[in-house]
This record gives sequence, C-alpha cells and structure tokens, in this order.
Amino acid sequence: MSRTRIVITGMGAVTGFGFEWPSLWQRMLKGEHCVRPWQPEELSDDSFPVRYAAPVDMQQLPTELAEHPAWHTDLERRTRFGWIAASQAVRDSGLNASALQHAAVLTASGAPQHMLADMRLSLNGDAAPSWQTLFAQRAALHHEGTFRQSNDRLARVIADDFGCCGPVLNISSACAGAAQAIGNALYLLRRGEVQVAVAGGADSVLNLDTLGALYLLGAASSEQRWGADLCRPFDRDRSGLVAGEGGGFLVLETLEHALARGATPYAELLGYGSSLDAYRVTAPEPNGRGAILAMRAALADAQLAPTQIDLVNAHGTSTPLNDATETLAIKQVFAEQQHYQRLRVCANKSQFGHLIAAAGAPELICSALSCRDDRIPPTVNLQHPGEDCDLDYCANQAVDQPVHYALSNSFGFGGLNTALVVGKYVEARL
Amino acid sequence: MTQPAPRAVYLQASSLLNAAGNSVDALFGPAPTPSPLAFANQITAFHVETPALERRLYDRKIQRSVEDQGLRLLDCVARLAPAVQALPSAPERLALCAALPEVDAPSPCWDAIAALGENPDALLASLFNNTPPLHALTLLNSSVMSYVAEALACHGPMAGYCAQESAAFDALYEAWQLLREDRADSALVISSSPNLTPAVYLREEAQPPLTPLGEGAAALLLSQQPSADAWQISVQHCVRAYCPVGADALAIAQERLTACLSQAHLQLSDLALVVADPSDPLLQALLPGCRLHSSRSHTGDLGASSPLTDIAYACAHPSHTAAQQARYVLLCSHSRQGHLGLLLLHLSPQEAHA
Repeated sequence: MSRTRIVITGMGAVTGFGFEWPSLWQRMLKGEHCVRPWQPEELSDDSFPVRYAAPVDMQQLPTELAEHPAWHTDLERRTRFGWIAASQAVRDSGLNASALQHAAVLTASGAPQHMLADMRLSLNGDAAPSWQTLFAQRAALHHEGTFRQSNDRLARVIADDFGCCGPVLNISSACAGAAQAIGNALYLLRRGEVQVAVAGGADSVLNLDTLGALYLLGAASSEQRWGADLCRPFDRDRSGLVAGEGGGFLVLETLEHALARGATPYAELLGYGSSLDAYRVTAPEPNGRGAILAMRAALADAQLAPTQIDLVNAHGTSTPLNDATETLAIKQVFAEQQHYQRLRVCANKSQFGHLIAAAGAPELICSALSCRDDRIPPTVNLQHPGEDCDLDYCANQAVDQPVHYALSNSFGFGGLNTALVVGKYVEARL
Repeated sequence: MTQPAPRAVYLQASSLLNAAGNSVDALFGPAPTPSPLAFANQITAFHVETPALERRLYDRKIQRSVEDQGLRLLDCVARLAPAVQALPSAPERLALCAALPEVDAPSPCWDAIAALGENPDALLASLFNNTPPLHALTLLNSSVMSYVAEALACHGPMAGYCAQESAAFDALYEAWQLLREDRADSALVISSSPNLTPAVYLREEAQPPLTPLGEGAAALLLSQQPSADAWQISVQHCVRAYCPVGADALAIAQERLTACLSQAHLQLSDLALVVADPSDPLLQALLPGCRLHSSRSHTGDLGASSPLTDIAYACAHPSHTAAQQARYVLLCSHSRQGHLGLLLLHLSPQEAHA
C-alpha cells in the first residue's frame, strides 16, 4: 500500500511583522527583524531587566481583520493571535465549510496570562494569601486570564468557528508544541483519521509573570549593548532568547483531497520525528543526543537520506547552550559525505523572536516557502560566529538557491525535541 | 513508499493513585467519601495526600520544585519502573505520551504574592526577591515529562497533551499508533488530574462537573509484547471526535461508535463490559440498554487522568474472573467540552495463546 501524501494548502501567521504571511516573508527576505524596546505593561519605570522583545504591533492590524470576533470575545492574547492565524490559514486554503466539517484541529497554546494580577485577589489585609480569599472574590477575576480561560480554549475556538468535528487536540510540549501539533497532524492524515487538519500554535509570554520567570531561569537575555539587534543565534555574543509573540497555522490535506478540489499546494509535508533528552530539565544533553534522534527520526519518516536535505531551519534560540549543541547535532546527522559543509542553516528567531510554544509553526511556514521559492531568509545579527558554531548560517543576507527539502527543528524546554521535514511540491514523487 | 502492516499493541502494566488508594483492587472496594474543599465548603472533592517521592528514582530537589499534580504523577510512574526496566526496549525505543493539565498558579507565587501584600508599590522587587530561580519549571508540563524521561531512561518519541479530560485519550491514542507503526517498542502513557484550585471550578462555570472532582494520577505501560499476566489485553481500536453540545453531538458520536465497533465486526450487545461515566447524558443516549460501569464513584472525576484510571479499572473488573473466552471491553470518554474518545480493548485468556 503506497503512503498517503500530505500537502500544505493554507498558511496564516501573526508575528511582530504583522498579521499575514506574505509580508512576513518579504520582510524576512530583506533581512529585517521586528525586535524593539519593550517593557511589561505592569511597569512604567524601565526596571524590568529584559528590555527587548518582538511584540505584535496592533497598529498594523488590517481594517478587514478589525471586526474578527477574536478581538471582541473574552480571550487571552495568545488565543486571539492563534484564532486570527488559523482563520487566515483557512481562508488561504480556500476550503469550504463542508470540507472543514470533518477536519481535525491541533493547537499548541503556551503560557497562561494575567496570573499575577489574578493571584493578588488572594490577598486580604494582613492575612496570608489564600485560595479562599480569591474564590470569594471570583467575580473580580480577569475574564481573559488563566482562572477563566483553559489552556485548550484556542483549539475549541477554532473548531467551533469552522464547525470541525474531527479530533480536537491541544498540545503541551513547551517550545516543541507547534511542531508536535503539525507532526501529529501529519500522522493523523496519513493514518486516514481525517482528510483535512488545521494545525499550529499561538503564544504570548510578553508579560511580567512569564518573561520574569524565563529571566529568573536564565533563559531570556537582559543584554543591552546590542540594542534591538539582541537576538543573535550562533553569534559569539549571543546571550539568551528574545521573546516574540503571535501564532502560526497551516492547513494540511491529503494530496488527493487537495487536488480533487483544485487546490495548489505550497509544499509537501514529508516527515516528523520526536525524542527526549532524558538528561536535565534545564540544559540540553551536551552531545546533542536528543536532537540527533529527532532529526534522524524525521528523516527516516520522510524516507530521505541526510544528503538530500538542502536547508535546516534551526531551533536557533540565541542561547549559548542551544546553538552550540544544535550545531554539534546537525554535524552528526549530516556527517555523511560531510554534507553539513554544503548544508544551509537559518534561524528565523533572529527575525521575529522566539514564539515559545508557537515557534514551530511560522518557522515551518518559512521552510515551506523556502522550498516553494528557492529562497532562504537570513540569520540576522550574526557578525562573529561562535567558536562552536561553524556551519553556513546564511548570515545577514537571504540566499537564493534550490531548496528541494528542508528540515525544521523545534526543541522544547526539558529536552523535548521535534523535527519536521518539508519538500518542494512536485506532482509525482519517486 | 509503502506502509508496513500494523503491529499488535498490548497493555503490560498500570499504576494508579487516587482517593481509593494506589491499587486497582481498591476501585472495587468500599468507596471513599468526598470532603469539602478548603476554599469552598459547599463543594466536595476526592482528595489525595501529596506523596513523598521515591528517592532512589528521583532527585530530592524535585519534591520541592514540582507542583502537587506533578508529584502525584511521578509517584505513580515510579511504581511502573520495574515493569519498564524488565522490558528489553532500548531507551530510544521507549516512547512517552503525557496528559498533563496546565498549572494555573505555581506554588512559588504564594511567597511573591505575600510580599506584594506587604509592599504593594515594590512590584518587581517583591516578585523577583521571593521567587525561586526555578519558578518557571513549575509552570511547565514539560518539566514533569523531563523528570519521567530521566528517571526511566526514556529517549524515544514523545507527545504531550493538555486538554482537560480528553488529553489522556489523545496520549493513549498516540502511544497506540507509535507502537502499531513500529516507531517504538514500548510506550509509557502518563496522566495527572489538575490541582484542585479555584480555576478548575471557574473556567467552565457554565458547565459544572457532573460528579465531584478528584485528585489522582494514572500511568500505563503499552508494548508490542504481550504481558505474562493471566489475561492478554490488546488495544483493538481507538476513535476520536469533537461533538460539543448544540452540534449534532449524538449523531457524530453514533457514527464514531459504529466505526469503532465495526473494526472488530461487533455490535453493542457483543461487548462484555462498557466503561463510561453513567451520569453523562450523551453517553447514556449513545449506549442505550448498556449498563455503564465507572470508577468515578471511588475516585471522583479525575479530569485528564480519568481515561487511564478507567482502563485499569476495566481490565481488572471482577466480571472477567469467571470468563473463559476472549472478550471485548469498550471505554467511552466524553469531556464536558465535547471531546469524545472510544477505545476497544480485547481481553483474551493466556491459555488461548499457549
């Protein structure tokens, strides 16, 4: 029995670059980034140590999106971005309501919001904070906060909006979340459980609670000497992640279903692999074992040899540990014929920041577009590659070259690793 | 590009923790009584004392840095360790599929909140000076997955889900498929109920729980190898759907039920046991004339850990004791939000395979 082919027929992205993927792609190819000065809305005195981020700029909201119910419903910020991105993807795919009825929805939705503000309701005079106090004041809880909004709200909002009655899944695997959602969708389509899936993720950690926690953990950069050029994957002066926010969604279909309705695929989704570091919760396994396992599993699933890959869209967080370990892992996976010397590597996070649970979705969109257009967006702010970063990272300038197959990495906190393989769409695949 | 024939998937072992105890037999004994919540006397729930972790398996720092819901799960997983270690799986062939609810308010927050109460104008100082550096770890479900993976040397494929009641069903589904497709030899499926904070009562206030909520955890070990137990239990089929109230929920559910049973050429009347929440109106309508069994009277509604608890309950049900023939068991999971999961298990006496 031949394997069912799965294609990408719709894409939607909300990032610091705006609310649609064509402008994201154009600006990325020009070498722009959307990191800028930022501070949590709870503070007004510049005391927060993390000074830069890549927030979604609501001033750029197109008029035609202003009336979308996402902006007029009690929802967390992450859910709004995800709903918009999913709506864009569905519209982009041209699918009608009847085709969506049996579709699956798979989302990764990240950090809870308004937690700190809500928790302050647990205070009552000099008494210790308590749930009892908070519960008594429940009417005052933020309607867009974690006490009112469950983590899977995004998945249900999308399913309800489009009338999907296939499986509706909410993924939780930290920064590997959206990639797992897309990978699970690939499997689900191949297994014949559905013919159409809407998969991706959304997140926003740009608040005092969550970014504060990432800072305390030592993951978020508080460096200031580079200004907004702070996100520097693979550079010797990289100093930590720079958070972005937003969402990305893809419409995935069986090729048969897509062709039957006259759709033109952007690219073909070919493989998915995952693994666990089983090492330490706060650091990647130093030899890249987990990353290697995930990449090899994705290549095996795609039925491709490492030498067939033209591009690795790296996890590339701009943290000292990740970038070195990922480089090491890439060199191991692509060791045959020293293919790593010919391989191009890029890090989209240098341009729109780290979208945390959602990261894998817009990054896969970029990989799919690289395959479609034979263009690779640059890794910006890479001036002096680190000693342990010795691959071709497409520094600062987009690269035009044929991209038949691309591999996209997403590694989650705690050693949860994923890799996706996407390929140029061709009518007949041998 | 071809697909190999699917592999058989067997249940090797299970481990539970809930108000009835940590043994599956306790689910068939006297039912515990729910007690009032500390923060809302009018609401009762099934509580579990937070366990002390097995020191030989877990670093002692974990006890302090993991939320109660995670500790319950880690305790539960520890009891599966001997079964995992007895399997011949290489670490990269052992998968981990997890259903872990989001932590709505991490414990380290309390100190920061208390400090804020004393000095409301020093927001950042109160927060940073009273939050442990590893605070972020308590927020993340992936931390608990990481601890399980490290303790059991689990390097294989992974999947994490967080969708209230249906998450465990999704984790089980993925584990089943990973084994069927030979992406792994064995798979741990782990799940935990959420901490009983105000959030679990406020998020879905429009749809209150049908039964008292409970604290607990459940874990299963699936394998391509049959177990040496008296009964060999294999996963025959698994079906999922989303049918929220107001949509054609019953029609969708009926269509999925037919699809599930037809895989084994069965009708409802052929089933030896149906495990489903008897208080769920959709399941009552879906399964007319069936006696619905459930462990909920002993555990409460365990949310994400309900499905795996019910699987262990179904497999140990006393009605199998006198049976001589292979039999089918159906498990139905329906979340308040509308997720439907149907699982068909095949139980066959060991002699049949001799």
